[in-house]
Amino acid sequence: MGNLETTSLFLLVAILAPIFTGLVLLCGSRFSVNSMRALSVFGFGLPLVIGIMLYGLFDPSLAGEYNFELRLPTGLESIGIYLHLGLNGISMPLFLLAGMVGLAAGLYAMNSKAERLHLYLALLLFMLGGLMGTFASIDVFFFYFFHEFALIPTFLMIGIWGGAGRRVAAIEMTIYLTLGALLSLLGLIALYVQSGVDSFSLLELRNYLSAQALTETVQNNIFALLLFGFGILVSLFPFHSWAPKGYAVAPTGAAMLHAGVLKKFGLYGLLQIAAPLLPSGAEHWFSWIVWLALGNIILIGLVTMAQKDLKMMLGYSSVMHMGYAFLGIACFSVVGVGGALLMMVAHGLSVALLFMLSTCVYHRSQTFDLSSMGGLATKAPVLAGFFVAATMASIGLPGFGNFWGEFTIFVALAETDMTKWIVAPAAIGIVISAIYGLRAVSNIFFGQAKESFKERLESGQITDLQPFEKLPACILIGGLLLTGIFPRIISDDANRELAVLYPQEQSNLPIIESVILPAEADAPKEVTH
Amino acid sequence: MTPTQSLLVVIFAPLLSAVIIAFFCRQRHGLAAAISVTAAGAIFVFGLLAILATGTDVVHASSAWLHFGDFEVNKGFLFDDVAKTMLIMVAFVGFLIHIFSLGYMADDPARGRYFGGLSIFMFSMLGIVLADNLVMIFVFWELVGFSSYMLIGHYLNSDEAAAASKKAFIVNRIGDLGFLVGIVYAYWHFGTTNLSEMGGYVAGNPDLVKISIAALLMCGFIGKSAQFPLHVWLPDAMAGPTPVSALIHAATMVAAGVYFLIRIDFLFPQEVLTLIAWLGASVAVYAGFCAYGQNDIKKILAYSTLSQLGYMAAAFGLGFPGVALFHLITHAFFKALLFLSAGSVIHGCHHEQDIFKMGGLLKKMPITAITFLIGTLALCGVYGLSGFFSKDAILIAGGLSNTPIFYLLTLGAFMTAGYMGRLFWIAFLGQPKSEDASHAKESPLTMLVPLIVLAVLSVAGGWMGYWPDFLGGLIKDNLDHLHHMDHYDAMHKKVLIFGSAAWIVGLVVSFFFYGAGAKEDRLEKKAAPIYGFLRSRLWFDEVYNFYVEKIQQRFALLLNFIDVFVIKGIFVRGSAGIVGLVGMCSRSLHDGNLHTYVYWFLAGLILLWAVASGLL
Amino acid sequence: MTVGLNAFILLAGLLFAIGMFGVILRKNTLVIYMSLELMLNGVILALVAFSRYNGTMDGNLFVFFIITVAAAEVALGLAIIVALFRLRQSVMVDQLTSLSR
Repeated sequence: MGNLETTSLFLLVAILAPIFTGLVLLCGSRFSVNSMRALSVFGFGLPLVIGIMLYGLFDPSLAGEYNFELRLPTGLESIGIYLHLGLNGISMPLFLLAGMVGLAAGLYAMNSKAERLHLYLALLLFMLGGLMGTFASIDVFFFYFFHEFALIPTFLMIGIWGGAGRRVAAIEMTIYLTLGALLSLLGLIALYVQSGVDSFSLLELRNYLSAQALTETVQNNIFALLLFGFGILVSLFPFHSWAPKGYAVAPTGAAMLHAGVLKKFGLYGLLQIAAPLLPSGAEHWFSWIVWLALGNIILIGLVTMAQKDLKMMLGYSSVMHMGYAFLGIACFSVVGVGGALLMMVAHGLSVALLFMLSTCVYHRSQTFDLSSMGGLATKAPVLAGFFVAATMASIGLPGFGNFWGEFTIFVALAETDMTKWIVAPAAIGIVISAIYGLRAVSNIFFGQAKESFKERLESGQITDLQPFEKLPACILIGGLLLTGIFPRIISDDANRELAVLYPQEQSNLPIIESVILPAEADAPKEVTH
Repeated sequence: MTPTQSLLVVIFAPLLSAVIIAFFCRQRHGLAAAISVTAAGAIFVFGLLAILATGTDVVHASSAWLHFGDFEVNKGFLFDDVAKTMLIMVAFVGFLIHIFSLGYMADDPARGRYFGGLSIFMFSMLGIVLADNLVMIFVFWELVGFSSYMLIGHYLNSDEAAAASKKAFIVNRIGDLGFLVGIVYAYWHFGTTNLSEMGGYVAGNPDLVKISIAALLMCGFIGKSAQFPLHVWLPDAMAGPTPVSALIHAATMVAAGVYFLIRIDFLFPQEVLTLIAWLGASVAVYAGFCAYGQNDIKKILAYSTLSQLGYMAAAFGLGFPGVALFHLITHAFFKALLFLSAGSVIHGCHHEQDIFKMGGLLKKMPITAITFLIGTLALCGVYGLSGFFSKDAILIAGGLSNTPIFYLLTLGAFMTAGYMGRLFWIAFLGQPKSEDASHAKESPLTMLVPLIVLAVLSVAGGWMGYWPDFLGGLIKDNLDHLHHMDHYDAMHKKVLIFGSAAWIVGLVVSFFFYGAGAKEDRLEKKAAPIYGFLRSRLWFDEVYNFYVEKIQQRFALLLNFIDVFVIKGIFVRGSAGIVGLVGMCSRSLHDGNLHTYVYWFLAGLILLWAVASGLL
Repeated sequence: MTVGLNAFILLAGLLFAIGMFGVILRKNTLVIYMSLELMLNGVILALVAFSRYNGTMDGNLFVFFIITVAAAEVALGLAIIVALFRLRQSVMVDQLTSLSR
């Protein structure tokens, strides 16, 4: 198994490469811009390259186990903490997502005109390293540790490079997210203590708890901690207030990585840790999740419609779409959680793309106010094309991954009679999102320019998308199309894994007797001849 | 080459063309047009190859697309008789419209984008035609909606086009909402969404048909085929280029709704069928009335399309999907012809669309005018032309199974002849009534050839006897069934009389009422309230706009207010405020003065003493 | 003539009270400091008196401790006050309120 060990080391490299590159950049304020870029391309690109390579080497027969396992001592063995890395069918797509969004954000950031660029890139790289680590961790402690490691640079970046009102937003976001993280940490520690297995390894926790489940009360309480802790991190209604403003003022790179990837940490925690380990807790809180998620979809959806600022709108829309993922997890079935996973990946790509493109729009219009733009498509057709594609992806047009996510979640909801009614209110979201999405597109790009914008539009200063903007956009669009056209690249591995995590006693498919298939239907006629 | 391979070429040629155009030919307009037209030609050729190779056999081919637990989606072809008929129509009409676009869009600065959009549209439309399960139909259904959005909004600078494209997409989405929920419920009801498997289950056990699922699936049809109450988007969609209106908003996409119904007709219980029949018949009449209030040549045709879609829906609802398909095909020919002729007129008149500013075009543009007339007559159902056969069959079906619907449809036929007559007499006869019209010239050959071909088809398309065996099997079955129903002969005579009377009366009355080449609408002069009523189209748009602006948007703003002030302001900031307040209060105790601390110390001492001595 | 315990207690109480009011009312740190010493002395007196009255050595033992501690306190406290005066040119407590900020 020498091969296995080498590949496992790659996992470690994917985490450490961005962090070390970041450290080097941190020291090197005297680097020339070009050498800085070359260095950061390495740091941002390597994780994705490794991710793709590992995807190619992924062994699907190990469902229930982890691929590329690596276990290093940390000095905390006495309480069962190891640096235990590995990937399974659920974390693999998210690992790739982090690499992809990371590269796109990095490519965009290194060409931005941020002051103290080396510091900015270094912080982004730290964030990326943390993200890779989060999704590659089997050890629950490191899962949490890497998340915090990625979270702190976000606060710093908003505080230093944020837009107007950044201090208030950064403080609010910090307090809110720290609260969420603390609650979930409490939950994780409670899980560790209550299970009494003396190990933070998810595998051992899972094996132990599947043999002897915790009592119902304990499960309910721990699940509540995890649900609301993670829920705050994922902007579950009504704990979403940090998100729109936070994203609106965040510098683009940070917003891309946070909204695109880091936010998925909470969902990942719910579907990989909380729900499988605490099934009766999930059942107990089922109706809470459903109602709050519907709040996300419908109430926040309508709130999104009322936004006049492009970035606020995007922030709210990303809050809204999280509702679908929660609904998927609430189903507690392979289909539902699978849908949530697809949704997470596709949403991560599309929201990152939208945040990036909205900044591109801003560089041309000098405003985020939707009511004072218009007609940009004539001057920047490529930008318009990308923006329309990204909007279409986020409102769930088939051909992009988001559609499969939403669709699979709807299918999952209709599976049992208990959840069947939810499909209809949840599906209203597809109309709501079409309304605000197309309204924004139409206000920015189509029709006549508004008076205040006309002069700028005619001035000839407005250029179309530059190559450095195109490249990251192409990466993200490519990912969206790939998941939209070939959803099996995610679903096959995840399906095997989820079947282990969410075992189902019997199928809900109807058994239809007296079947006449077309081929058979013809047969009796021939007999009569 | 196996049929499946041919079909793969059919479906991927336009996609490839769209991708190439999007990446390499945005500035090379001529090349883009060439690629797109080639792709459209390839669709036709390979479609024909596939049909010839299979004859009357049905091709099934499918492979897994997505799989989670019990949920499985396949992508696949169901290439049966209905699909073949539809494919050949879509491919042929599509090809002609591509050629027409070469001439019509010759001066457009964004031809590349236009042809790319056409290719995307062909791709998605063919996907609907060939799909073998509901999910796949839905996927392409949405893509068709997207390409329609893109093409309606082709004229980027126009506020009208921007609003129309948005409206079309959103209204369609509302219909798709029901469609989506219907698919999802159908999946767990049947355990599959594969059309032939579901058909087999239903054939084996008719109790499996459920009203709720059928009604939900019907919503998709209502949105896409612009039936009441989601019909408002179609007239606005005329803001797009005219060939797009011909291809998407007359011949193919809007008919896809009807095609979809025909594909899943086994899922419909009698109640839903009756509902569809009534819906269709009332739209047929309603749209006929609306057309009298319009002066824009394209909008008149758009309402005519609505009305004809109503006929198809009525035929389907009466239990004759084959007849609906028949009318779908003939309608595609003559409506595409009408729209393209209108496009030729608009092109000739330098983008003048008001019929009261045209006039005298018969002399200026004879070929266009004659083809337009052929289309008009076919639409009106003149004996021997294609429209006659299909409309005749629908009327007979109505007369034999549902008399009120029969009279509604006959009224619709009369209305049709009336507004088409009005359009033709005013726009093509008399003298030119504007500068643009008097300089009108006949269009170039690339535009005329498609017109002529379509005119031939509008005449001959309904001669079922000459259709090859492997096409229109369902149509022939249904017609056959109709012919063998009781009282067929009596009804046939009755329909012949009523139908002929309708078009003769309609054309003649409109000629004498409006007059050849009239300068103004006489109805507007003589009976302004009636005209105003017709023009108002029953105030649907007003009601919807009121809802969107005054109710929905205000509700959204209210929720936003609640979100910002209650959740963010009171709960989040409020809890932060309470913590801050406690901090401020306790901080004010620490004023730094030594004596204050001493007093607190004393007070504490006294308190302690009081507790210790049992006073407290 | 022997003086009764009550007289000692009274005197000790008086000394303590004078000291306490001095601490509470005076503003000069030095005076407050002296008042504190006065309070200590009141306590010492009471302890000695009790010790004598009870015939045990416990109170006296305490007194030695207190005297030692008080001596150390004086040394330290005076040094602080001198340093404070050098820094601020004032030893009035109402001017020494930087803790509030």
